[in-house]
Amino acid sequence: MSTQAGEISMSERKNVIIDLEESEKNRFGELSEIESAEATGVMTVKNVSAQARIWNVRVNLGDSRSGTTIKDSTLSAGEVEAGGEWSTKYGITIDGPILTLTETYDTCSSITAESPHWAYVHGKENPVRITLHLKNETDGQIDNIIVNKTIPPELTKVKVDSAKSGTAKFDEGTRQVVWKDFVIYPKEESTLTLSGLAHVDDVSEKNAGEVVISYKSQGQQRSCLDPDMTALTEFLSGIETAETEPNHWECTLECSNETDLIVRLDKAVVFLTPEGGGEKKKMVEVAPRVEMKPGETWRSSFEVDSKAPPKCTPDVVYTPVRVVKRRVLGTATKVPQILPVCQITYAKSFDPSEVSSLDKTPVEVTIDIKNSGSARLDQIEVEDSLPDDVMPPKKEHVTVSVAGKEYTGTYGVTITPDDQNPETPHKVRIKISGMRDSMGELKPGDSLKVSYAIMAWRNRPEKEYPSPIHCWAYTHPAGFAAEAVSTPFAHKLGVVYRKRRIAAKKAISKGSKAGEYVITLVVENKGEVTVENVKLVDWIPSGFTYVSTDPREDEPKRNPAKDGTDMVWTWARMNPSDKKSLRIVVKGEGEYQRREPEVASD
Amino acid sequence: MSVLLNPGIWDGKPVVPDDCDVRVIVATNHFDDAIGNATAIASKSKAWILGNEQTIEKAKSQGGKPWLLHILRPEEVYQIPGLKLVPYSLQRADPKSGEKSQNLGLYLEMSGMKVAYLGDTVVRGAFGKIEADVMIVPVGDGEVFAVKDAVSLCIDAKPRIGIPIRWTAPEQSAKFRKYLEQFASGTVAILMEPKQVLEIQWAAGNEFRYKVS
Repeated sequence: MSTQAGEISMSERKNVIIDLEESEKNRFGELSEIESAEATGVMTVKNVSAQARIWNVRVNLGDSRSGTTIKDSTLSAGEVEAGGEWSTKYGITIDGPILTLTETYDTCSSITAESPHWAYVHGKENPVRITLHLKNETDGQIDNIIVNKTIPPELTKVKVDSAKSGTAKFDEGTRQVVWKDFVIYPKEESTLTLSGLAHVDDVSEKNAGEVVISYKSQGQQRSCLDPDMTALTEFLSGIETAETEPNHWECTLECSNETDLIVRLDKAVVFLTPEGGGEKKKMVEVAPRVEMKPGETWRSSFEVDSKAPPKCTPDVVYTPVRVVKRRVLGTATKVPQILPVCQITYAKSFDPSEVSSLDKTPVEVTIDIKNSGSARLDQIEVEDSLPDDVMPPKKEHVTVSVAGKEYTGTYGVTITPDDQNPETPHKVRIKISGMRDSMGELKPGDSLKVSYAIMAWRNRPEKEYPSPIHCWAYTHPAGFAAEAVSTPFAHKLGVVYRKRRIAAKKAISKGSKAGEYVITLVVENKGEVTVENVKLVDWIPSGFTYVSTDPREDEPKRNPAKDGTDMVWTWARMNPSDKKSLRIVVKGEGEYQRREPEVASD
Repeated sequence: MSVLLNPGIWDGKPVVPDDCDVRVIVATNHFDDAIGNATAIASKSKAWILGNEQTIEKAKSQGGKPWLLHILRPEEVYQIPGLKLVPYSLQRADPKSGEKSQNLGLYLEMSGMKVAYLGDTVVRGAFGKIEADVMIVPVGDGEVFAVKDAVSLCIDAKPRIGIPIRWTAPEQSAKFRKYLEQFASGTVAILMEPKQVLEIQWAAGNEFRYKVS
C-alpha cells in the first residue's frame, strides 16, 4: 500500500464543515432570578470545495440527540454543490444560561444592611448603588460581551465607580451605561458598580431600568449533539492488472482523490472471480482510514496466477473529511426591578379637642399613621411631645392597632422623663418594629393607629399647649426613614376659658353670751370652672379671741396680725356651685369692727 | 348593720324588691331614681328612711311612717350603733327641668370602713378632700358628674376603691375604670354588676383587703 501527494498546510486543508450555531435567549426576573431560558440551534453542512460537489450526504447523530427536537439519528442532506450548504434547525432544552447576571439595586447605599434596600424614600436624596455581576458558568471563554443598562430618569449624578474588566460609560443622552470590551474566562466573574442620587416627587412605583446582554462563546454548544458525516464525492478507484511473468499477474487497486477536499478512505476490498468460475475470492480487505489530500492516490497490490487476465472487482468506502465547528450566541434580558416609594402621612386628634381651663380632663390622643406610599413598611416610630400641664400616659396604656385590630407584635414605648408629673413636658416615643415577622408589613393605603389617654391638668386659658409630633417609617432592611413631621407649634390642645367667680359673704351677729359674736362666712364658687387652692382670710379685731367654728373640721389657722388676728382657711378645690358655710364664734369686749373677708384662688 | 342607699326606680321598675331586709335606707334626693320604693321597703322591714327635707316630705306623701323618717341636715352627724353618717350638701340637675336641686352626698363609717357616696351630683363639694376607703361616684353626665369629673375627684381624694354608678352608656363606666387605672395612682376601679358583692376589710387591723364576688 502506498500514498502519493504534495504536502498542504492546515490553512489550505479543505474539510467539509458541520457547523453548530446554537443561540440561547434568557430572561432574568426583577431580582435576577432566571425566569426563562430557551435555546435553538442551526446545523449546517458547508461544502467548502471550489469545484467538487458532495452527494449522498448523511449526518449521523447517534445517541447525542437527547435534549433536542431532532427525531432521527441520521439526517439525509442529499447533494451539496461546491460552495453550497445544507442546514436544519432544532430546539434545545436548557436549564439556564452559560452567563448569569445578578443585578443589585440598592436605594440606600450609605447604610449597610444584610440585603439591598429596595424602596425609594419620598422627598429625599436616595444614594443609589447599582452592581452588575456576571459569571461564566462554563469551562469555556465567553467574549464579545456587551452589557446595556438603562438608567432610570430619577437618577442623577450617575457615575461608573468601578469595572473589574472592560470599559463602561454612561451616555447622558440615551441614559444607557454600556459595558463592553472584555472576556470572562471559564468559571470567572466580573463586576460593574455604578452610583447616583435618586429623588422622587411622587409615590408611584418606579422602574429601575432594564439590562440587556449579548455574548458569544466559541467552541461551546448547548446541545449534546456530536455529529458525523458520510458523503460521496469525486473519488476515482480502479484495478490495474499487469502480467509480470507468464500467467502471473500483479493486480493493483488504485484510488485517487480528484477533489480539493480532504477525503478519508475508510475501506478497500478487492474480489477476484476464479477462472473456472465459482465463488469470488476476497484478495484485499483493508481499512486504511487514511486522509487523502487533493490529488493524492492510494494503491494496494496483490499477485495472482491466471492464464487469462484476472477479473477483479473493487469495493471502496470513502467520505470527505468533515470538521465540526461550534459556537453559542447568547442574549439575556433582565426585567427592570420595580422600586416602590416610601411615604407616610399622619393625623393626630384629641378627644375632646378642647378642655375647660383649670380643670382636670382625660383626653384621648389618637395618632393615625397612614402608609401613603407604595412600599410595604416594616417599622414605624412616633414621637409625641406632650406639653406641661398634661399628665402623660403610663407605658402599658399605649395601644397600637392596625386596620382596626389590636397589634399583637412587640412594640416599645419610652416616656421621657419616665414619670406622670403633669408639671413637666414629656416625650412619648413608640417604636413598632418587625411588623414583617408578626402581623405582616403595613401595606400601602393601610393605617396604623397609636392611642393613649392623657390627663389635661389645670390648663391655663392664657397659655398655649402645642403637642408636636414626629413620625418615621422604614422598610426592611431599614435605610433612610420616610418622615412626617409637624411644626413645633402644631396640635394645640384647646383650652376653653371658663370664668372664675368666687364670692365671700359675711354677717356679724351677737351671740348668746355676753361679749360673744357669731361671724357667718359663706364662700361660693359662682363661676363656670373649678377653682383650686381657695384661700379665705377673715380678720378678728384686737380685743376679741377665737372661740369655735362650725363645722368643727373647718377650724381656721390663726395668724397674729397687726391689729388683731387673721383666720385663714384653705380648700384644695371648689367645683362650680360649691358652697362653704362657716359659723365662727368670737369673744371679747368692745365693738366688733367689720372688715370684708378676702378670698383668693388659683 | 345594713344600709340601703338610693333604692331608686328606673324605667318604671324598682331596682330593689320591697321585701329587702335593711335597717336604714338613705335617699340622697327626692327624685324617683333616688328614693324609689324606699317607703314600701321601710314599711316591711321597719327600716329608717333618711333624707333631706324634700325627700322626707315625699316619703310622707307616699305613706311613710313618721316614726321611721329622719331628716338629714348638711354636715350634721347621724350616728347609731354600727353606723356614722355625715351628709354634705351637693347638687344635682332636675331630670325634667334641668334646674339645680339639692342632693346629699354621704360620708359613712361602718366597721372601721369609710365610704363616700355622692349619690346624684354634679358637684363634689367637700368630697374632694374627704378621706375615704371607698368612693362611689356617678359618671352618667347630664344630671350627674361627667366621667372626667368623677375621675378628677378620685385623683384628688385618692380612695382605695372607686366605684362608678349611674352610667347611661357602658363606655362611661369603662372609661372611668380606664382613666383611674392610668391616672389615679393607688385607686382601684371596680365596676359592679347587679347582685355582685364587694367585701372589704381591714385584715389584722391595718391591711386593706377587698374581694368581689
